[in-house]
Amino acid sequence: MPETFLDSTELVLNMGPQHPSTHGVLRVILKLDGEKVMGTECVIGYLHRGVEKIGENRTYAMFNPYVDRMDYVAAVSNGLGYCLAVEQLLKVEAPPRAQVVRVILTELNRIASHLLWLGTHALDVGALTPLFYCMREREDVMNIYEKYCGARLTTHAFRIGGLIYETYQGFEQECLEFCDKLLPRIDEYEELLTANRIWQKRLVNVGVLTAEECKDYGVTGPMLRAAGVKWDLRKAQPYSGYETYDFDLPTRTNADSFDRYIVRLEEMRQSVRIIRQGVGRLEVGPVMAKVPKVIKPPIGEAYVSIEAPKGELGYYIVSDGSTQPYRVRVRPPSFVNLQSLDKMCRGGLVADVVAIIGTIDIVLGEVDR
Amino acid sequence: MADDPKPEGTPTPESAPAPKPEAPPAEAKPEAAPAEKPAAPAAKPAPKPAAPKPPPVMETEPWEGELPDALKAEFGEQITGFLTYVGQSFLTAQVGAAVPIIQYLKHEWGFDYLVDVTATDDPAKPERFELVYILYSFSRNERIRVKARVKEGDKPPSAVPVHTTADWLEREVFDMFGIEFEGHPNMKRILMPDEWQGHPLRKDYSILGMDQKWVQDNLGIESGQ
Amino acid sequence: MRDFLRKVFLADLFEGLWVTLRAQHPKNIVTEQYPAARPKVAERYRGAPRLNINPENGETLCIACDLCALACPENLIVVGWERNPETKRKELTTFTYDTSRCMFCGLCEDACPVDALELTQDFELASYSREGQIFDRQMLEEGIHPTPYKH
Repeated sequence: MPETFLDSTELVLNMGPQHPSTHGVLRVILKLDGEKVMGTECVIGYLHRGVEKIGENRTYAMFNPYVDRMDYVAAVSNGLGYCLAVEQLLKVEAPPRAQVVRVILTELNRIASHLLWLGTHALDVGALTPLFYCMREREDVMNIYEKYCGARLTTHAFRIGGLIYETYQGFEQECLEFCDKLLPRIDEYEELLTANRIWQKRLVNVGVLTAEECKDYGVTGPMLRAAGVKWDLRKAQPYSGYETYDFDLPTRTNADSFDRYIVRLEEMRQSVRIIRQGVGRLEVGPVMAKVPKVIKPPIGEAYVSIEAPKGELGYYIVSDGSTQPYRVRVRPPSFVNLQSLDKMCRGGLVADVVAIIGTIDIVLGEVDR
Repeated sequence: MADDPKPEGTPTPESAPAPKPEAPPAEAKPEAAPAEKPAAPAAKPAPKPAAPKPPPVMETEPWEGELPDALKAEFGEQITGFLTYVGQSFLTAQVGAAVPIIQYLKHEWGFDYLVDVTATDDPAKPERFELVYILYSFSRNERIRVKARVKEGDKPPSAVPVHTTADWLEREVFDMFGIEFEGHPNMKRILMPDEWQGHPLRKDYSILGMDQKWVQDNLGIESGQ
Repeated sequence: MRDFLRKVFLADLFEGLWVTLRAQHPKNIVTEQYPAARPKVAERYRGAPRLNINPENGETLCIACDLCALACPENLIVVGWERNPETKRKELTTFTYDTSRCMFCGLCEDACPVDALELTQDFELASYSREGQIFDRQMLEEGIHPTPYKH
């Protein structure tokens, strides 16, 4: 066939910002040669609210609810990272009971975040049913949050120095019941998806990012573990007493979308283990450390990071000794992980782009801040 | 926000803390910008004026060990200090040496993961920006920071050839602070619109500040506030 | 061989379908029939704000200390007060709470020293205009009156 028959120049296709599978307002400019992706460019910032600027203009305690609005599906993790960073600057530590409650709530949050990821990712790839099931289980986590702190999504559950809410009557029992309920449900998802041939065709060997590339791109979280690197901040640089919990880090070696799915499902099971241990450790005690009413850390700076469901979430806070932070920098896992999209998409098919965006697990509120 | 009617006397959310950007550097680092000092107590919620005692400084400790010694031998005068604060080590370097140091650390010491690139702004200082590179080593399980001060208009070298992560992170620093990186493959705005004027995270950019013209042209509203 | 047979008889698809069918049983239905059925809201829920009044004499509990306004990250509370010349005490005159900017973080509630300001379990805060989102003292004391749903 003569080459002039069809114009074989590159086609530029805009995907988003109003596209259901971009999980918000991500716009991807695709350069296509037929069905093949020759290159991508992400256009982000549609949800930019200037969280870091707001942080410089609020007191330490006032900024706490804002961090929930970055990664809004894992609001508790965001709050934990921020509180730990300010506590480090203040050189205080939350009391043991508060730490256990924090761990339980953060792990519940990890489960909720992964459940939402699984549902939406499956939806992107073409499986509608898991979304409803995942939402059903996530609802239980939301109910625990609602009972604990009065809000379901943007929880504002932690305060600098500990907790403001004591656990409610029946908290332990509800957590354990949820754990008991969740494990067979995860098996159900596996029944639905893992062996499913369409699911495998769409995910196996799609979006491969090897360990070396992951490190080069700064990719962390389940994506790094799916590439075979046994690294998790909960183990590497434990915070909130994670070193005393017994849990495993699931890793895989193929570094493709399917492995990330397996890793995340396994992480949920490990979170259940941590929650069960945590509930057994809840002892009577104070939940708030001695923190001055007006929080005024001494001049200094600290970078504190935690393992959020999506990867390393870091806060770099510079204090000038006043009541407001001089600089708050958030190191968002979604933002950094999204950067590897181009690498993973190049040479693949258009349909894979959707699967790859899903597998990164981004929340645009965190990408754009 | 402007078009929602408020009862008389409702302060806008930002009006109270707005004067902050000028105030804290004046109080915290009194050697600079003494002219703004009288404004500082008014802007603070705490009514106490700055004490006449010697100004508080960051209580850092020297950072000693194998790694700083090796760096000292390799880079000598280009590194101006090795410090530790709350158990976190960092070094300050001349801006030209930052990327070679990162490269050296990556290849010789296994700091193969660039966690973050960011900056802070202090308009009172002659070299107003401070670039901060946060590095992590998987093999050593250690995290350090490399800091370098940059003058307005200076173009520090880009770290993209060493760590691909730096691509977007440096673009964000450019977007928010206006620091251009030399040798960056795609030095343009990332979060703000491309035609936007001004760099929002600079301290002299008010929290109410915006590119009025852009807002009027593109959004068809008088003001974003 | 087993894999081949599984593939031919679409075992993987039927396994998945069986999970879907199991969830069809009426006892597994979890959908709430809002607004026909009222949802159960947790006791600590942070919803519509309310200014509590003393049930014995109908006076407000608020002492006009302004701490809630200072604690609010969005600066959306305005407390108006005047000093009673006889008792020399501050008395509340007006109280405005702009729920359109509120993020229900609960910091005002935490700051209140007398438990006067409280975020309640009422959650139906929608209104037809932006003015309707600004709660005055009367509205804060009486609570919101959402339109009841009729079949």
